[in-house]
Parts: sequence; C-alpha cells; structure tokens
Amino acid sequence: MDPSQSFEDQLGALLPRLRRFAHTLSRDSADADDLTQATVERALRSKAQWQPGTRLDSWAYRIMRNLWIDTARSRSRKARIEATPEEAELVGEDPRTAMDAALDLKRMMAAMERLPDEQREVVALILVEGFGYREVCEMLDLPMGTVSSRLVRGRNRLLAMVGEQ
Amino acid sequence: MTVPDEKFFAWLDGELSPDEAALVEAEVARSPELARTAEQHRAMQSRLKMAFDTVAEAPVPGRIRPNANVVDFVAAKRARAAGRWGSPAQWAAMAATLAIGIFAGTLIVPRASGPVEVQGGRLYAAASLNRALDSELASAPGTGPVRIGLTFRDQSGAVCRTFTDPQSSGLACRNGSRWQLRGLFAAPEGQSGPYRMAGGMDPNLAALVDSSIAGDPLDAAQEKAAKAKGWR
Repeated sequence: MDPSQSFEDQLGALLPRLRRFAHTLSRDSADADDLTQATVERALRSKAQWQPGTRLDSWAYRIMRNLWIDTARSRSRKARIEATPEEAELVGEDPRTAMDAALDLKRMMAAMERLPDEQREVVALILVEGFGYREVCEMLDLPMGTVSSRLVRGRNRLLAMVGEQ
Repeated sequence: MTVPDEKFFAWLDGELSPDEAALVEAEVARSPELARTAEQHRAMQSRLKMAFDTVAEAPVPGRIRPNANVVDFVAAKRARAAGRWGSPAQWAAMAATLAIGIFAGTLIVPRASGPVEVQGGRLYAAASLNRALDSELASAPGTGPVRIGLTFRDQSGAVCRTFTDPQSSGLACRNGSRWQLRGLFAAPEGQSGPYRMAGGMDPNLAALVDSSIAGDPLDAAQEKAAKAKGWR
C-alpha cells in the first residue's frame, strides 16, 4: 500500500478484497455489496480515527466485521425464515456437475453460511483473506488458542460439507 | 491423530517455526492418514479461495465508491431504495466469462515446492509448472513432467495455455508477468501417470477452454511468436 496515496484512494484499492470478505460473511451477493457499501461509509466517517502508518486493511476489515456482527440478530432471524431446502441441497451437490465459477461461489457461500458466526469469520480471514493467525487475533481481540480452535472446528465442518472422497 | 489438531493446521498454514514444522512434517510423512487429511484440507482451501477470488477479480459495482463524500452515499442509498445496483443478468453475463473448477480432495498443493502458489489472494503457477508455461512449446515438447496443450487468447486478450502433468491438468492465463491459474483438475482415479497423456483432454478442462477462448487456438508459428513477445 502506497502511503503517499490519499485515504480515499487507499480505501478504493482495498475494495475488491473488502467485497470478497463481505461475500464470505454474507448470505448472498446483494447483502455482501450492502455490507461493503456500509463499510465504506463507516470508514469515510471514521477517517480521523485511523492512524496513518498503521495498516488500513486490518482497520477496514475490522469495521466490516463489526458491522456484520451488529446485524447478526436480524440476520439470524431472516435466515430462520428464509433458509431454503435448495440451499442445503446446493451444499451437498457434486461439484463435478458444475464448472461454473458463479455456481461454485454460490455453493461456497452456502457452506460458509452454515458455519457458526465465530468460526466463519476466522475461516474467512485466514483461509480466504490470507491473514496470519496473529493478525487475526489482533483484529478480533481474541487469544491465539481461541482463534486456532475456531479455525480447526470451522475448517473441519466445511470439509465435511463440501469435501468428497 | 498423533499431532494435535491445532498444531497440524498451524503447520498446514505455515504458522509454525521451522523446528516445529519439521517435527510435524516428519509425523505426516510417517502417517498416510495425516497426509491424506492434509491433502483434503489443502484442496478444500484452494477451492474456497478460487470461488471467492472471482469476487475480488470482478469489477467493483459502481455504487460502491470511496472517492465520493458520505452525502453522495446517502443520496445513492435513497435512490437505491427503488432498485438494487445492477441486474442478475449483468452478473450472470460477467460470471459466464469466468469458469473455474477445482475438485476437493484431488488437488495437491505442497506449500514450499508445489506447482501452485498463493500470492495476493490469487493462485499462480510455480516451479516446474511456471517454467513449462514460460518456455515450452506444444510443437516441441521438453523432457519435464509438464506437457503444454493448447495456447490461445481469452476474451480479454490474455494468453492462456492448457497443461498436463502426471497428476493433473489445467488452464493458466497470463496476468502481468505471471501465470494465474483458472482451473486445475486432478486425473480421474486410476488414470494418473503417463498413460493419460495419450488420451484426450479432460472434459472439464475442455469446457473451461470453450468458455474462455476467443477465436481459434494459436498455431505453432503463432505460439512461437507469442513466446518471443513474452506471452503478452
């Protein structure tokens, strides 16, 4: 990240990654884009709280994660009402029948959606976003043991859902 | 399992010190069960990553922009109450140009020396695979384990090449100075090894090529010319 860039430009450069993270947390692309937009708005409003010289990506990811947690209650209510049998079928479907990236993305989103929130965020940050364990501990304010045990449970569960053979 | 789960996965994620990693590595080398678990989890992570990477590689919807002020966002949000950004059809069209397949449980990605490496959230060819993609011509195959099949330009104009090695086949396309993987398919059970090379292209790979290619594959002279230009 180029520190001579404006805050807005640096945030703009992060957008593809933020959208990816939002997709790992959200139940569909529309929700993910809403979450990304809300994160951008919050980041712009909170610009003064960011300390230049520190990592903007961790800071922005943290904002997104907190916004996502804030909506957890309404989200789980919505999920109870709207979770469909098709979604469950989608998760268990044989990936060999569909080579389309969009479909595999849907399938992976459906699988992530079925992880408990605290496992999903750790799996997303480490396995998809590529953060190190220590960075995730700092981002989530969690001790190392908690992060690594959630990661173990989350990835085992994910493998049971999407893995085969 | 002879290695505690947390330690095993920390090893898989490259989080252990070299000394600790060597100990786990030795355990994995001794235990076929651990080796298989490692392989399944690597494959699962690759598939997860490739699926979500399609999001990071797609254009950011116009409604999400940080270089406007907050007031603009509020206005945009109100306007959006009438209808969400974009249409499903737009997304479908965008997605249709991308096809990525990866089979869980069958992709082998050793961290240090494997043919694939993850960087900046993308999968790239490494080591022998990268060398073959860079230097081999389909018309003059080398002696290495990797064979190049088709070379063509995709719809964005990037040079893409299919490849086959004893365990897998796949498609990689030029991204800057590197080869980014678009798909990697394991050889069907019982069909790995040199026999497979005599057979036709994996049907999944063929489908991926079909959905990516613009025009015809390059012929030998065009392939040579593309190599001379650094695959630009």
